[in-house]
Formats: sequence, structure tokens, C-alpha cells
Amino acid sequence: MIAMVDCNSFYASCEQVFRPDLWGKPVVVLSNNDGCIIAANKEAKSLAHIPMFEPVFKIKETLLKNNVTLFSSNYTLYGEMSQRVMNILKTFSPLVEVYSIDESFVELSGLEHINLNDYGKEIKDKIFRYTGLPVGVGIAPTKVLAKLANRIAKKEAEYGHVCVIETDETRIKALKNAKIEDIWGIGKQQAKLLKENKIYTAYDFTEKTPVSWVRKEMTVVGERLWRELRGESCIEFTTIPEPKKGIGTAKSFGKRLEDLDMIEEACAYYVSEVSEVLRAQKSCASYIQVFVHTNYHSKFDRQYSQSSTVTLAIPTNNTFILVTEAKKALHRIYKKGYRYKKVGVNLSGIIPQEYVQGNLFEEPPKILNPALMKIFDTINNKYGKSTLASATTGTRKEKWELIKKQRSPRYTTQWQELLKISGPY
Amino acid sequence: MEKLVSGKIKKSKDRHAPEVSLQTGFPSAATHYHEASIDLHNELIYNQDATFFIRVEGNSWNKFNVRHNDVLIIDRSAKLKQNRLALVVQDGEFDVIRFSENQAKSEFLLWGVVTYIIKDVL
Repeated sequence: MIAMVDCNSFYASCEQVFRPDLWGKPVVVLSNNDGCIIAANKEAKSLAHIPMFEPVFKIKETLLKNNVTLFSSNYTLYGEMSQRVMNILKTFSPLVEVYSIDESFVELSGLEHINLNDYGKEIKDKIFRYTGLPVGVGIAPTKVLAKLANRIAKKEAEYGHVCVIETDETRIKALKNAKIEDIWGIGKQQAKLLKENKIYTAYDFTEKTPVSWVRKEMTVVGERLWRELRGESCIEFTTIPEPKKGIGTAKSFGKRLEDLDMIEEACAYYVSEVSEVLRAQKSCASYIQVFVHTNYHSKFDRQYSQSSTVTLAIPTNNTFILVTEAKKALHRIYKKGYRYKKVGVNLSGIIPQEYVQGNLFEEPPKILNPALMKIFDTINNKYGKSTLASATTGTRKEKWELIKKQRSPRYTTQWQELLKISGPY
Repeated sequence: MEKLVSGKIKKSKDRHAPEVSLQTGFPSAATHYHEASIDLHNELIYNQDATFFIRVEGNSWNKFNVRHNDVLIIDRSAKLKQNRLALVVQDGEFDVIRFSENQAKSEFLLWGVVTYIIKDVL
């Protein structure tokens, strides 16, 4: 059996753990540039007119009128809280697959003799007790069914956030109640195709549709879903994350930028970010791509977009070399007179650092001292991002950075930002 | 730039190990007695995944010797027992109480149990 554990409106819940004054009140979390809503708790959703991924300025009035509390996203906090949840899950089973920041699959084979509903409750209660985060648990013989069980646990109040699909009877009942478009892995296009063929529920799909048709129309991926929904496990557990093949970052500027210097600083900042990721996974990049573009949606601005890729003489994860190369690339593509919206950096050709080969025709750069990068990372981990940085990164971050006004403190990772409590006097 | 007020960069972990003297090649008498240094994180934290650090402002809880600027180590997994200090929530606000068994638990929501109080006495 497999459990799917997911945190209820995770980002909003993380914020609420430290804000008892907001318990039971509507909370929403905004995307990186505070542009749109990416998470809302059930109180906020019950106000009904909060469309997800909608630009926030359109509904700001409504939000304020309903006393909704807005937060900028605090990924440092969410990441740390997520880690706690995953650690707790590992006390229930040695095999935990972290599926996303707030969802995990937990392998429960060998535990069929115990009451799985009780076990699910135990998981739920322990996570809440330790972290203050509410979760839902779905338990079933396959991943797709576990995901469905989790959905039921969340939607139907009488389950108390734990739902087990164990017998064929419970499985059939769950399938009959599940709309086909709500099944994990069924995309919009596929849902449309299925409905055109009078397949409306998961039950119609698995019990009334022959596997040959599924395979023909939806390939082997669809067949896997079909089998999983029938209780036959075919999606394996992957517990070791694959090293990333490409790493990139790009964010919109807080306002449009025309000045090369300023774009250069933002670009260098992103390079520092991605090279940190490289070092954390002990790998090096062979290529670096830089791109810029203007605001596609603007009717008034002249449009321009361009990218440039540099092949590095020797694959590296050294911030200084990468910043230097990125700067060269940026200078090649930058054109004066445009109002830029975004600059981005992508690293590719990622290889483990022990596989890096020297270049016969190039002198190894002197700056390649790994000890320097190590102390760099140590200091930045301790005092916060870009305490130390390449000078190109500059000091005018607040000029181009996305507005982060409402970000909560990093309660669990920064000694200077601990939760503060004060009594009546 | 903002001044950093606390914290030191930890030295890298590879400290001198008292094994063989580089000069003489003689093994140190301490070789077989080497132990890891004390790490407060190991000593003061019983359950890392349930532990939070919280700073106190003001003097509301002087009677518990919890004073301004102290940092409380809170373990959410620890049992609430007679006389333990607890961080609780009442009417949406945090409060620190000393728990007594004959107190009705319904009066508050437990947030966590205080395991240590860290004081800066410099």
C-alpha cells in the first residue's frame, strides 16, 4: 500500500503556524513578484471570488474589504517547514518519495496487517503536533489511487482528512464519484477526448473502456493510469532525485529597466544563485546562456528579445568565472533604447565536478580555488544570501528586485528573524 | 550596509586530531581517547523536527524567569506535565504559562513546551 500525504494550503499554513492571530482567518500568498495569488487557505477560498493566478491588483479591493491577510512568498520558510514534514514521514517508512514541496508518497508495504486508517491518522496527528501544519492522507494500493484517496480525504469532511481505498468495493465507489478530469495525470486535452467518448468518471474509464483503446488513444502513459486505477501498481518509487540537467533562473524586474549596468547587476545576481545550486549538488556547467526580453504584453513599447550561449573552456561552478562569461554574453545581446522586463540565466551541460577535464589549450584560471567558493557559501549560508558576492552584483538590488514588502520573517533559519512574542506588559 | 550583530562563522570541521605528531611521528598518548567536542545543538534539542526558537520581548513573564530578549527553545513534541513552562495560545495571542494538572486544558491551545531558556548575560 502507498500513502499520499499532502499539506493543506501549505504556504498559507506555514505562515499561520507563527501567527495565531490569523488562525481561522483568510490568508493568501503572492507569487515571487507579488504579481498574483499562488496560494490561499480555505477561509480565503470560501470568499469564493479569489481566482488563483489572477493578478492581485485586480482584486486588491475585494481582499482588503474581506480582511484577507496578504503575504509575499517566503520560500526559505516553506522549504524548511517542508523538510521537517519529510523527516517526520521517514519515521513511518524508510521509503519516502518527495513529490513536491508539500506532497510525498510513502511506501507502506508490509504494513497490510495493521489498521491503515489508524496509521494514516497517526501520520496526520504527528505532523500537526510537531510542526503545526495540517495534512491530508490518502492510502491505496497504487500511486494514482492514493492521490485520489487523498483528494477524497480533503474534500469530504466525514473522513477526517484520512481516506483509505483498500477493498475493491471502496475502490469502485471512489472511481464512480471521481470526475475523469480530476484524476492525477489526465490533462485538459485528454479529459476532452475522453468526454467526447462518453467517459465522464474514473469508473467509466477503467471498467467500461478496453485497454486496447486506451493504449491506442492515450499511449502507454494512459495505459499505466488505467492499470493503476484498477489497483495494479505500475508507477515506481523514485527516492533519489536525479541531478539537475539544466539549472536556470529568470524573474521579472520590479520595474522596466533600460540601463545596461542595472541589468548586469541583476544578471550577476542570478548567476550567483545558480552557481550556488551547482556547488550544492557538486556539479559543474559546460554552457551558460543569458537572455533578455522586453514586455510582450505592452502595446506601447518596442519589442526585443535575444539570447546568447557561451561554451565554457573548462566546465565550472565558480561564481566569478560564470559571472564574467555571463557579462560577456549580456553585452553581446544588449541593445540600447529598449525597456527590458526580464533577464535570465540558464546553465546546461551539467556534469559531476569530479568528471571535469582540463583543456589542453587553456591555462587553468587562477581563481579556480575551491576553498574560496567553499568559504563563500559558508558565509552566505550564515549571514544570508549575497552577503559576499561578485562586485558585478552591485548594491542596487532594491532598484531592480521584485517588490517583497509583505514577506514574513525567516523564523526557522535566521537567528535575527526569530518569532517574537510579548505578553501584555 | 546593515551591521551584523551576532553569530560567528564556524571554522571548518577538520580540526587537529591528536593522532600522530607531524614533527616526530610519535603517536599521541591521547590517540585512543579522542572524542567529538560538545555540540549544543545535540545536547539541547531533543527533537529537531518539532523544535522552534522564539524570542521574548518585554517583561510579562518575569515571574518564570523569562525576561526581555531571552530565547526560548520550544519543543512541540514534548509532553505537557505538572510545572512545565508552556507556550500557549489564548484568543489568538501567545502566552507563557506554568502548567498545573488541575488547570482545565480547554482554556488554551498548546503551541509547545519550553525546554530551555537561553539568556545573554554579557
